[in-house]
Amino acid sequence: MELVINGFRQELDVRTIQDVIAHFGLEGKPVVVEADGAVLTKEQWATAEVRTQMQIELVHFVGGG
Amino acid sequence: MDERYSRQMLFAPIGEAGQRKLKDSAVCIVGMGALGTVLANHMVRAGVGLVRLVDRDYVEKSNLQRQMLYDEEDVRNGYPKAIAAEKKLSIINSDVRLEPVVADVTVHNIESLLEGIDLVLDGTDNFQTRFLLNDACFRKGLPFTYGGAVSSRGMSAILVPGVTPCLRCFIQSADAGGQTCDTIGVIAPVVDIVASYQAVEALKFLVDAGGKRRDSLLTFDLWENRYYEMKLGEPLRDCPCCQLKQYPALDYAEQEEMVSLCGRGTVQIAGKGQLDLEQWRERLEPAAEKVILNAYLLRAQLPEGERLVLFPDGRVLVQGTDDLVRAKILYARYIGN
Repeated sequence: MELVINGFRQELDVRTIQDVIAHFGLEGKPVVVEADGAVLTKEQWATAEVRTQMQIELVHFVGGG
Repeated sequence: MDERYSRQMLFAPIGEAGQRKLKDSAVCIVGMGALGTVLANHMVRAGVGLVRLVDRDYVEKSNLQRQMLYDEEDVRNGYPKAIAAEKKLSIINSDVRLEPVVADVTVHNIESLLEGIDLVLDGTDNFQTRFLLNDACFRKGLPFTYGGAVSSRGMSAILVPGVTPCLRCFIQSADAGGQTCDTIGVIAPVVDIVASYQAVEALKFLVDAGGKRRDSLLTFDLWENRYYEMKLGEPLRDCPCCQLKQYPALDYAEQEEMVSLCGRGTVQIAGKGQLDLEQWRERLEPAAEKVILNAYLLRAQLPEGERLVLFPDGRVLVQGTDDLVRAKILYARYIGN
């Protein structure tokens, strides 16, 4: 389905937020997920279903300095 | 009051009263690299009374592209960053009390480093030290001003105990996935912008303009022209730091076993998870002089002279040094944590 991820439209074969995380190889990384303006805790990722046109922000914490 | 601050005092939200508050304030900047030098420049020019500068590293040529307080003479002299920064800052504003500390920030010295401090500014390059600062700040009730920059991406937020979530509410893993300034690079403008966002939040806090506090995590990619603000929201219900008050990074036992001297000229750093060596080969190849991968380990010859040996179980050996701090510096540069 088509999702808007970090501002860009993308066609992904995913069902949950967890699948999105896995798609981008972000498991175990310092990432916060916001879907349609709501922050989802890690525990919610596996059950939070995505729907077409959902606005998903993957906020990847930056470590350098 | 001093003409030096006239323009800052003309800015009504600071004024004379705010200027006096700045003079009576003390901040600690941990990490005097790219972010730290910009932060220190702002704090010292603004007239913060005491600025403590903490760093474990020394100035190298590759720093000069973005670490704005250092010059070629500092590289030739091989000065520690905290000392080189003090030297430069003391001729920028001699009214400010500068306290350079050349040290690795650990569970052993964090308490004394934060003594007498009103606010902590994050200039570090790794999440392990950030978790330590976060936990120490939240235990002590001090605001922690997070900042991070890599590539053309940056991020900042001010985290205030009892008011906002803490860093652990957002991230639980210290795994930066190998994305450090020494592996994928960084451009200077992103550093200046991140540190300036941190600095302005520090000024607001120090002059008691709490109502103006930015209540979001600001994130941007300057090259891709993308900005995003995420509300800080509520603390994580079972956050081990700000809710359960366990402050994991302040647990001596857990910290001790991370880094150990193992044989002559080799320091072992215990990782927190498994390493996919094939992926690490790809990440390290652009930065290292030579990378060798076999079925058991990955060996990377670093331009600094030392070697990193990575094992699938997460351990990393830093060969060519007996210095635990030096090993941690190289680990933070190339592996990130």
